Amino acid sequence: MRRETERDARCGMRDAALPFPTRLMRVVRRIIGAPDYRAYLEHCRAAGHAPRLTEREYVKEFFDSKGTAGRCC
Amino acid sequence: MQPLASLLVWSGISVLGAAAFGVLALSRGETVNAAWLLTAAICTYAVGYRFYSRFLATRVFGLDDRRATPAERRNNGRDFVPTNKWVLFGHHFAAIAGAGPLVGPVLAAQFGFLPGTLWLVIGVVLGGAVQDFVILFCSLRRDGKSLGQMAKEEVNPAAGATAMLAVLFIMIILLAVLALIVVNALKASPWGLFTIACTIPIALLMGWWMKRWRPGSVGEASAVGAVLLLGALVAGGWVAGQPHLAPLFTHSATALTWMMMGYGFIASVLPVWMLLCPRDYLSTFLKITTILVLAIAILVILPPLRMPALTPFASLGEGPVFAGKLFPFAFITIACGAISGFHSLVASGTTPKMIARESDARLIGYGGMLMESFVGVMAMIAACTLDPGVYFAMNTTPAALAQASQVLGQAGFVVTPDFMRELAARMGETTLLARSGGAPSLAVGIAQIFAGATSVLGGKTLDALWYHFAIMFEALFILTTIDTGTRVGRFMLQEIVGHVWPRFAETSWYPSVIASSALVVAGWGYFLYQGVVDPLGGINSLWPLFGISNQLLAAVALCVGTTILIKMGRARYAWVTAAPLAWLVTVTMTAGWQKVFSADPRLGFLAHAASLAGSANPDTARLIFNDRLNTFVALLFMTIVTVLIVTSLREWWLVLSRRKTAVVHEAPYVETGYATGD
Repeated sequence: MRRETERDARCGMRDAALPFPTRLMRVVRRIIGAPDYRAYLEHCRAAGHAPRLTEREYVKEFFDSKGTAGRCC
Repeated sequence: MQPLASLLVWSGISVLGAAAFGVLALSRGETVNAAWLLTAAICTYAVGYRFYSRFLATRVFGLDDRRATPAERRNNGRDFVPTNKWVLFGHHFAAIAGAGPLVGPVLAAQFGFLPGTLWLVIGVVLGGAVQDFVILFCSLRRDGKSLGQMAKEEVNPAAGATAMLAVLFIMIILLAVLALIVVNALKASPWGLFTIACTIPIALLMGWWMKRWRPGSVGEASAVGAVLLLGALVAGGWVAGQPHLAPLFTHSATALTWMMMGYGFIASVLPVWMLLCPRDYLSTFLKITTILVLAIAILVILPPLRMPALTPFASLGEGPVFAGKLFPFAFITIACGAISGFHSLVASGTTPKMIARESDARLIGYGGMLMESFVGVMAMIAACTLDPGVYFAMNTTPAALAQASQVLGQAGFVVTPDFMRELAARMGETTLLARSGGAPSLAVGIAQIFAGATSVLGGKTLDALWYHFAIMFEALFILTTIDTGTRVGRFMLQEIVGHVWPRFAETSWYPSVIASSALVVAGWGYFLYQGVVDPLGGINSLWPLFGISNQLLAAVALCVGTTILIKMGRARYAWVTAAPLAWLVTVTMTAGWQKVFSADPRLGFLAHAASLAGSANPDTARLIFNDRLNTFVALLFMTIVTVLIVTSLREWWLVLSRRKTAVVHEAPYVETGYATGD
């Protein structure tokens, strides 16, 4: 059984129902590497389990893991 | 597209690119327009992407869209997230593009615009983009493993440890040279220092906003930060004009060195959300916006290049910006933009965990690097639009300028003191002389291009504003690299010491955090201080060391890539990584050897130390020690890579001669759950 189509997952078809500013912010967040709790909640819904992290916990974990990533010169 | 139409289009692009290269190569004495440089670069990128990257994707790597990627298999909504390829392209580009592709081409412009441009364009298509693509592919097939982990598993454990050590040492040199660029740009510049100093409270405010007040509200915080940043830029001009305020922000290079070290230490110790992340967001916005605007401005203005295709320094090797002949020094001066080992850390970092399907790696890995090369070409254009006399006066210390004055005079690269004073006043500075490091001359070039595009709005005021905008743009993302680099160096040091003292490896144990941060800062701080007090400006010794170390890291990455291709049974295609590897090893080993053993005191560390012996200068002992330290560092880099190459060669020979069974450590094949081909 297909979990979701490739286009659904990658090209923002699920996002189509969202207002344009929200969609734009989602793209910007991904590009700059910023936390996106709403996307996390959507992931949990799609995966069929309850969110394991509150928004504060999610943001904290996100920033903690970000500190280990390098940036090029 | 129909086959005939496709053939005609690609033939046309190839002919246009060849014609542009012909114009660039054959021009001698006459002024060349930047349009030819852009045409040559864009046509080469198009052909390279269309044909060579496709060959790599299909024939060499065998990218398979039916195979589930780590982002799909391990999707956790946080690190592993299937992401649209264009969004991920932007994310990857923002992570790989820093000061390197801007500064390297500016420094290499001392040889003329041609050598650097050819290396940027050809080097990226055959080397840099291949390296990024192959490492991204390898990491993608291994659940996003890092370069060090892949070296350990695919070559041998010694290679893994060697790669990790190489990264730590390279980080130290990289941070020192980047900090030196900022120090040289901000010394005696109250406008510049005020603006950059303001970014610290702005970033702290953004951090509190995103973490405490409105968790995750990056958009709001970034908008507020951007407005405050522009306010700080304008206010900087006012501060510089106030007799009581300007001295508070006017400091010597030595004082700025201590400030930079203090800043690096604090940024490494503070939680990431407080300073590092908000500064990272600000710098990413600024970086992408400025690069886009610069590209548009260059395309609109199409400025003439005032630097000749080749200068006398290409063959003489006595350049005032840095010593050494075109070969090998042009190829290590431009690293980011042509080929950069540092990219292999990003390509085996966050990016492979976000790729939705394997074929996306072509656009992100290969295409992302082509885009960075284009940034390098724009920097080359910005530097070469300057009057050569201004370029050399800005990038050279008085001592080096005196040594090269005869050649500069014969080549006509002269500029009057009055002209430099007038230019400095136009840029809102007291002086622009001896601001080595590339950033200030690039800022003048960018300011002239931007001011040209906005000339209808106002003359001199906008020149100064654009100059300081460009300085802020460069300094902001250099400081971001210093934040993250010091922190990553700290983690690596904690991990290394943790093998003998496990408590030290706890990243939240404050004594360990403080001690390791202090050690890393002391490491790069020492090289920074050495560069600041160097009579030849520091760039002459530090930038080649950085170039050698960065290119040697690329050699490490290409070794790993070649080993994996051979183990995958693709030995007949191993030349795609082995050829750039052979070139890099030749270039870096030659450069390393010359930097250590050349008899010319301007070039060789040992010869320079020998020339100082017996001098009455009170700093002689320290300068001699620095030369010997630089010798040690250069030899260390060369030894590390020799070890890795020998161990890789042994592995290749064992596998190819069937004395050892080839085992690749790929993640197991799982078919994608996504529909393919829709």
